[in-house]
Amino acid sequence: MKQMHDSLIVQTMSQLLIPLAQLFSLYVLFFGQYGPGGGFVAGVIWTTSMILTFLVFGLKSPQGRLVEKMLHGDGVGLIIFVGVGGLCLVGGGEFLNYANLGIPGLGAPAQRYMGILISQIGVAVDVAVTGISIVLSLAYHDTEQEYDV
Amino acid sequence: MTRHLPVILFLLPLCLAINLPVIGLKHREWCRPLVITIVIGMVLVSIANLVGVLHTGTIHYAFGGWAAPVGIEWVADGLASVMTVALSLVALVCVIFLSSVLFPYLGSRIVPFYILVLLLIASLIGMVFAGDLFNLFVFLEVSALCAYALVGLAGGKALVAGFRYLILGTFGASLYLLGVGYLYAETGTLNMADLALRVPPLVGSKAIAVGVLFMFIGLGIKMALVPLHGWLPDAYTYAPDRVSPMLASLVTKVALYGWIRIMFWVLGAHAVVYQIPVLFLVGLLGAVAALVGAFLALSQENIKRMFAYGGLSHIGLVLVGISLGNQTGFAGGVFYLLNDAVMQAGLFFWAGAIIHLYGVRNIEDLTRLHGGAGWMSVALVVIALSMIGIPPTGGFFGKWYIILGALEAQNYLAIAAVLIATLLTLAYFLKLFERVFRERSVEQPPLIREVPLAVRVSLGATSVAVIVLGLMSDHIVSFLLKTAIPPGL
Repeated sequence: MKQMHDSLIVQTMSQLLIPLAQLFSLYVLFFGQYGPGGGFVAGVIWTTSMILTFLVFGLKSPQGRLVEKMLHGDGVGLIIFVGVGGLCLVGGGEFLNYANLGIPGLGAPAQRYMGILISQIGVAVDVAVTGISIVLSLAYHDTEQEYDV
Repeated sequence: MTRHLPVILFLLPLCLAINLPVIGLKHREWCRPLVITIVIGMVLVSIANLVGVLHTGTIHYAFGGWAAPVGIEWVADGLASVMTVALSLVALVCVIFLSSVLFPYLGSRIVPFYILVLLLIASLIGMVFAGDLFNLFVFLEVSALCAYALVGLAGGKALVAGFRYLILGTFGASLYLLGVGYLYAETGTLNMADLALRVPPLVGSKAIAVGVLFMFIGLGIKMALVPLHGWLPDAYTYAPDRVSPMLASLVTKVALYGWIRIMFWVLGAHAVVYQIPVLFLVGLLGAVAALVGAFLALSQENIKRMFAYGGLSHIGLVLVGISLGNQTGFAGGVFYLLNDAVMQAGLFFWAGAIIHLYGVRNIEDLTRLHGGAGWMSVALVVIALSMIGIPPTGGFFGKWYIILGALEAQNYLAIAAVLIATLLTLAYFLKLFERVFRERSVEQPPLIREVPLAVRVSLGATSVAVIVLGLMSDHIVSFLLKTAIPPGL
């Protein structure tokens, strides 16, 4: 897992599959407005694509490094979510009342649409990062040590 | 503006928690002042919220603008507002204490550490305000996850204790969720106010009874009610000394608050007093917890472990108070809950300071202090007086109102439990005092190190608070009687 997978077939197939999975994840994210799907599912699908990335290419490859860099985005999803909620608060409504999002030129239904979409993006980012960090800490990080707290 | 204060109170620590990784990346030393500032802000906001609630009445905050039975609602009534003020104040002294220079330098781990602390505070605020059963569960789990991580922070033995806490805590949360499921299946709603309307006609139903029992057992594990307390002594003993005050004073108390909410606001005071024997069960378990906890504390050698068992006994006393089924007992129980949060914080401050200043972990080694340690001993005596229940401290008046309520309810078992628990508490503190003040070990000279300012402030604040709570007890209890009594009690 730490090195690149040696089979050319696996590499080529995953080069095809990973973008497809990510595309599907985005589809689920946006389709979540109208049907089954949404941020959580989209985040999980995105995670599977990322797991496949470092399973096949290894963590040392450029793609694998990208996965490790994603771990730093842990709070970003929450910032997006709370940020949208806070904007509604600033706009005069309740927390997460998307009708008060304050985007000029949009009616209340369109603002609700935007608010839900943005907050779902936040959810997706957070779920994806959390999923990857779970897998990485189970697979790699060895923390059998005592700390002085 | 006033109606937004509950959510602002919650967002303050949450926003800092999620921005701290970004801030801490460059300026690690900013973490401490920022966290303390935010918690001071929480104290101000919570006081403003209390004043607002007193002026305009209960605040129902509908998230996303969706009205209550459909949407998610937070309810800031008298009891919740008083609780949040107490919670923010105790959290403030705990945060001051845990950032003291007394403790080892955390290095890069300071950022995740403060994030966990802030999330813990935020989720406890959420639990207090939660207006429906499922949100109570969500915040219960968030607070528990933070608590597991904080317990296991030190690695080694603490990891085992933390893992045990995790297993039992998750079990408790699952039972609670199962109970919520039963109530939902029977009534079709999760909102507390809505449930309060729909539950009374169904109160004889078996599904409701089983659901409530599951919720009680689940929250009982979280609040460490005695037969279900297995996780607590180890977790609080091995938890890092800087976080055990916060865990001991806040986490179990807020779980207990959750149960008070469910019992009197969901089932309704009328049902629990006259129709179902839940108060009897709670009172009996509370009495057992008060006695067993104090008895086990008597046989402990480790200081922190002794205080942890003492905390178990006080949870029992609060339950005895609220189970009396009258206003005096309820107000006394809630008042004792507030006192207990302060006292537990103070005791664990003392234990943590003693461990790090003098290297003393066991009661036997306290002789090394040679009666010295100046005003630290004074702080210990003040808090211990309150734990035992000697006027003019808050603990005395808490027990006093609980006993008054018991006399009103003619519940002599409760009086006996409170009195015997008091005697046992006196016994284990005498054991402690004997080592601190009477005996002198000849071999080892006392280790004297200057007490850091943060420890002085936090220990001083808790011991002053204990006395102030005692002197103001009349006002506080009549205030609770006026604003925080459940409808129909």
